[in-house]
Amino acid sequence: MIYLDNAATGGRKPDSVKKAVNDTLSRLCANPGHSGHRLSETAAEAVFDVRSKIKKMVGATSETEVCFTQNCTHAINVVLSGVLNSRDHVIISSLEHNAVLRPLNYLKLRNNVEFDVAEVYDTDDELTVRRIEKLINKNTKLVLLTAASNVTGKRLPLRSVGELCRRNGIMFAVDGAQGVGVLPLDMNVMNIDYLCIAPHKGLYAPMGVGVLVARKNIDNILISGGTGSDSANPYQPEELPERIESGTVNLPGIIGCGAGIDFVNSLGCEKIYKHEIDLCKELYRELVKMGAELYSCAPDMYRYAPLVSFNLKGYGSDEVGNYLSKQGIAVRSGLHCAPLAHKSIGTLDRGTVRVSPSVYNSENDIKKLIFLIKRLI
Amino acid sequence: MKNIIVTGTVTYAIRGRDILRKNGFKATVERNSSGLGRHGCGYGIVVIGDIDNALEILKMNSIKIIDVNKK
Repeated sequence: MIYLDNAATGGRKPDSVKKAVNDTLSRLCANPGHSGHRLSETAAEAVFDVRSKIKKMVGATSETEVCFTQNCTHAINVVLSGVLNSRDHVIISSLEHNAVLRPLNYLKLRNNVEFDVAEVYDTDDELTVRRIEKLINKNTKLVLLTAASNVTGKRLPLRSVGELCRRNGIMFAVDGAQGVGVLPLDMNVMNIDYLCIAPHKGLYAPMGVGVLVARKNIDNILISGGTGSDSANPYQPEELPERIESGTVNLPGIIGCGAGIDFVNSLGCEKIYKHEIDLCKELYRELVKMGAELYSCAPDMYRYAPLVSFNLKGYGSDEVGNYLSKQGIAVRSGLHCAPLAHKSIGTLDRGTVRVSPSVYNSENDIKKLIFLIKRLI
Repeated sequence: MKNIIVTGTVTYAIRGRDILRKNGFKATVERNSSGLGRHGCGYGIVVIGDIDNALEILKMNSIKIIDVNKK
């Protein structure tokens, strides 16, 4: 099968990642930092090494800022529940995923947290920033934006918004699910306080491990319990990362994540980004010729993450997705768990077909896809 | 003299060890159960050398220390 659904999860993992996971399960199955024996200590060192790699990749300051979670959605929940209290106000964008929208609606109902949605303008970042600025009020505590839309690929102006947040004393969180490993993201440069990562996408890691890089503390915690240290203390430690890492962490996933980072670094994020955007450009050009409905400008390396959403006249997105699946091509159809984004581009009633390549896809994969779409219409 | 600087977490212990090594100390991470009554299981940094200087360096680097056992 030709896999073009990498915005959902990386469909092919590097051999080095598979080997790292296998080696961990074969030779390093110990609870990292919870026991006193050599294997447990070696496992703890290995986890620390992966924290170091993530720290370097995203411009964090210390390994203690790098926390492992179950996935990116979990990381986002940790941030929202962790920093927001009753009457706090949050600003999000019109392109956010349900990973942001649903926890916020839950907190709105349960804790009287308030939030506003700022419209994103596909061709005018300054206007987007002004929209966000206009929504700031005296209770605004947090701005949370996706690095790039999982529906249109649109990259948000993180640096400008980070600067806006810094000037106004507001915390800034970023959903990096579609960004880390492909887009240039630097927490220092962009003034990001919390960065949520989905390593199974751009970092080619196994599923089941997420990352929250937190440069500020998390006050309210979702889970408490054993952390392997200070265990006579009946209260949860204040220090990250252990504050939010109670219980046994996903060691094979974390070590696999480290191998995935090595893989990405060995190629270079920019090279990967260019390769994937070039494939998207080719597809976009052909879709324009075919008269497909498109929801962004032509892909480029400054404004978009590498994905293309489209519809074909006379066909539902699921019809196209099912047809391609039967022909051996995996794409994503429907709402992509992002109804806000679909409302914004006017496709809430039908969704879109989304194509998202990885470094493993080739020009031939895109040619085959184009051939099959032409055959359908 | 073997000094153990007890940290709140294993991550702090490893980070603290690395910082001390960069500053010329001989330092290792060790399971610390000597303070079981007070802190329970945990990890510490075993430091050979000027403990006061080591503590100062760790504090400057925001390594939270919960105890110091001098032996």
